[in-house]
Amino acid sequence: MRRENTAAFLPALVVIGIYLLFSLGPVLWMVVSSLKDRQELFSWPPSLIFTPDVSSYAAVFGLGDSSQSAASIGLVGALFTSIIVSVCGTALAVGFGVLAGYAASRFAFPGRNDFMFFVLSTRMIPPVAVLVFYHYMFSRLGLTDTIPGLVLVTTFINLGLATWIMKGFFDGVPQEVENVALVNGYTRLYAFWHLVLPMVRGGMAATAGFCFIFAWNEFTFSSVLATTKATTLPVKISSAMGATGIEWAQICAAGVVLVLPVVVFFWLIRKYLLMGMTFGVLGGSRT
Amino acid sequence: MKRSSQERRDLLSDRLPGTLLACAAVAPLALIASVSEAEDLTFVWHAGTCADAFVDIASDYPDAEVGIVPALVPYGPEWHIKIASEFAIQGDAFDFAMWDSQSTAEFAGGGHAYSVNEIFESSDVLSADLFPAGSLARYGEYPDGSGEFWGLPVNQDAYGFMYRRDLFENPDEQAAFKEKYGRDLAVPQTYQDARDVAEFFNRPDDELYGWGQMGGREYDFATTASNSFLWSYGGELYNPETYEVQGYLNSPASVDGVQAYVDMFQFGPPGSQNWGWDEVNAAFQQGKLAMAMQWYYFHGSNSDPASNPLAENTGFANLPGATGRDGLFRRQFSVGGQGMGINKYSGKVETLTAFMEWYFQPEQQKRYAAVCQTGLKSVLESDEWQSLNSYNSLFATALDYTNDYWHLPEYSILLDILQEEVSNAISGSKSVQEALDDAAMRHEETLERAGYEIVRSEETPEVPDAVISPVGSTEVVALPTN
Amino acid sequence: MANARRQVPRAMPDGLVCGLFLAPSLAVLSLMVVYPFLSLLYYSTLRFSVLRPAQGSESVGMLNYTSLLTDDAIWDRFIFTGQFVLATVVVQFVIGIAVAYAFTRDFKGRDLLFTLALLPMMLCPIVVGFLWRYMFNSEWGVINYLISLFGIGKVDWLGVADNALWAVVIADAWMWTPFVILLATAAFRGIPKDIQESADIDGASPAYRFFRITLPLSAPILLIAFLLRLIDAFKQSDLFLAMTGGGPGSETETVSFRLGKIAFSYFYTGDASALAVILLVIIIGLSMILVRHLNRVKDQR
Repeated sequence: MRRENTAAFLPALVVIGIYLLFSLGPVLWMVVSSLKDRQELFSWPPSLIFTPDVSSYAAVFGLGDSSQSAASIGLVGALFTSIIVSVCGTALAVGFGVLAGYAASRFAFPGRNDFMFFVLSTRMIPPVAVLVFYHYMFSRLGLTDTIPGLVLVTTFINLGLATWIMKGFFDGVPQEVENVALVNGYTRLYAFWHLVLPMVRGGMAATAGFCFIFAWNEFTFSSVLATTKATTLPVKISSAMGATGIEWAQICAAGVVLVLPVVVFFWLIRKYLLMGMTFGVLGGSRT
Repeated sequence: MKRSSQERRDLLSDRLPGTLLACAAVAPLALIASVSEAEDLTFVWHAGTCADAFVDIASDYPDAEVGIVPALVPYGPEWHIKIASEFAIQGDAFDFAMWDSQSTAEFAGGGHAYSVNEIFESSDVLSADLFPAGSLARYGEYPDGSGEFWGLPVNQDAYGFMYRRDLFENPDEQAAFKEKYGRDLAVPQTYQDARDVAEFFNRPDDELYGWGQMGGREYDFATTASNSFLWSYGGELYNPETYEVQGYLNSPASVDGVQAYVDMFQFGPPGSQNWGWDEVNAAFQQGKLAMAMQWYYFHGSNSDPASNPLAENTGFANLPGATGRDGLFRRQFSVGGQGMGINKYSGKVETLTAFMEWYFQPEQQKRYAAVCQTGLKSVLESDEWQSLNSYNSLFATALDYTNDYWHLPEYSILLDILQEEVSNAISGSKSVQEALDDAAMRHEETLERAGYEIVRSEETPEVPDAVISPVGSTEVVALPTN
Repeated sequence: MANARRQVPRAMPDGLVCGLFLAPSLAVLSLMVVYPFLSLLYYSTLRFSVLRPAQGSESVGMLNYTSLLTDDAIWDRFIFTGQFVLATVVVQFVIGIAVAYAFTRDFKGRDLLFTLALLPMMLCPIVVGFLWRYMFNSEWGVINYLISLFGIGKVDWLGVADNALWAVVIADAWMWTPFVILLATAAFRGIPKDIQESADIDGASPAYRFFRITLPLSAPILLIAFLLRLIDAFKQSDLFLAMTGGGPGSETETVSFRLGKIAFSYFYTGDASALAVILLVIIIGLSMILVRHLNRVKDQR
């Protein structure tokens, strides 16, 4: 039964409603502020009704007056760079993470716990501590200011997260699933690809979502490791800020523009995000 | 089972075409990029009207093979990080960069900047005479007084003053002021005067406050303002000869100055203790401030009715000085602006020199000066530039009264420490004396750690300026206002 | 049976599968981690600045570590960081789990609401920092406007250390609660429905169902989420940079923030490396405790 009796879960709607109020309120404020001109931004009481001014978006996109600005050079290139780097980085991180997570979940290889901990520890260092070392390493490897270099970075920063989450989801799939298949003459790989993997699509989608977010919004490494040829969108857009003061409207406009591709991505995978883990394989019904 | 594998393939096939399409779209762009790479010169700066002006002028560079490519960063720590990280790995991602004047010592001291003296020697066109001696010293000389230059003044700036002309020229206000204080209402020439005027105009109920200044913890916000007070009261940051900080930074004169600075917050709007230059602009543009300390950089937008509704009534002047405890008058305030430094590890110095020879011509600099402050002497001294707007002539005078932070490679460490302590004094968690005492002690630790030898003198002067670089005069020297 | 076997390609041994599956991750992580990790350890024993190489490097053994660990200011920052991490992770979890549980049912418009609920996490962190700084401004910020509607006067959010801590916690929790929501929802919805139905039949109350069935069964995923949020919270410094700059004074500096300062403002490469190692040790220590607990919970299942 898809839809249940509304009254039965009114508390759930209330909880969601209150949460959405607090979570979307600031987002709405960001959108509203992006349309304000400088005087309106600082008015008291803060205004909701006013004449919208889209000049901040023009500045972000490098249109109109701002088309001559130094900051607008290479904006479209940055968009493409970001898309490629994020998609490839996400695909690789999820791909490798799925494989490693499965292996760690199913095979009790020597040093498994150490391996998992090592994987987790790659996420623990604040980037600033190792930024110079990466810069040096990339420079010697010829990877600075290149797209493959940035793909490597985005894959790396997400791999720990992807492996751990996927292992968690794989752990939730009973070993019987593969055992039944193996006993019936199917290979491990077949069982993995056709039986187990579809069950963890929810986990894969969630992982892909997180990885895409972290890859898309990555700033610290991208700003230092890439200068002109492989600039990503957040670096490009944020560099446009600060013309004559802190351009609050521009920052908000940049925020709106930057979040749209991520929203699109999440909307595309929404079906998988809300998927349950088990299918009707063992007789249990899907949530 | 068939269904699930189909869905799995769908998932893959959903993304694959998209990725391929994106790659195909970028490939030609990548090709274009590599073709025009030939002899491009890349520079790092933060975005802004000045960067726009620079790129605009550079696009007219006659040599078609050479393109000037901007690598812009936000104004903030990323700026310093970008340049420093590249220097640390001795990379050539950029060929030249604009950095704050106070960073010259840091980068030149680390051996990362290309010697400008060599450029002067190898070039027929470029020489030290093109730039005011003071500017060249401030933006490019390291060590101080050595004659070794590592940067050129590409964008000058100084800390300045703006005020509400309509309030000051209002006859009723003038009469009321004269009655209360016994002298004419005028733009203050000393901080002592400024205090009275600020008090007079401080009317919180009318949403009008007397004085706006920076107090923010980040970067150099608070100390830009507090140093302007400190130097005017006769204080000094340290003794450049002996590297002593204790007795100088926390000398009675320095404490006077910083105390006067902290006291001025009572005439500012609530929350102003955290202000950076942006909040000062915002408050002034909203009509909340009668007077404000603000960079010359922003005078352009503040005199433009499009950004400042009160532009018609905004007047400019140079910052006040102060009468120190020794009775002498001094006027010194913070210098700002950026110098252009050359990356020693870039292989394109010759190409860059050719560009610089073209860029630092009066024709190009005049275009630049229309928007930002140039460093070319001939333009600065021209009547044309000076009469361009109400504050350029003031700026020419201002350069004589500027002072700067430590010109040492350890500058950013010393700055952060002083920022922290001044911030403590502002918030009240330490008294001004305690804050400066702690700052002085920590500064000396930093200097010792960096290998400087601190030579202790037997006694330290009450007013360090009298000993180090005396600029005091017995009379108050008034400067014109606009 | 024999027929089925013949149609299937010869099976790859499990050991090979395992090796192949692990290889790509190991390769990437080893490449990206070995050199920086080793550099960190190496430089932490030196007095050296990578920006001022001319000043030379001096091997000082454990001096960087001891001087950091005996510095009161660093301990203040550890305490502050601990307060921040605890507050933000707890808030994220309490709210995250509550909202995720609310999303376990199917209802009309659920997809849209769910995507909207995840929105804060998708924003660029720098923008988030500035956005909250703008909203928390004591003079014209909308937060102070809203609380003034309740008759409370303007609060100086960012200029007073105690207030600033809560301001940043609010901003951080606001941004990352969706992370918990997403994982928790996936975990809750993965619980087989027949278990829940049998509990209903037995007459269990919703609270019982939640605490005795839902939570324990989804504990592994939730613990992983907790671990990840904990690690990320320790690394948070962008928000502090944008909102308070570490001030007033240095009262809102986290260890990560100070690390960034020492590394890129002071360029004391040796000190920064040592502090990074210390921070790493602490995070590793906490993680180990959690992982051990996680393994125990998993075994119980």
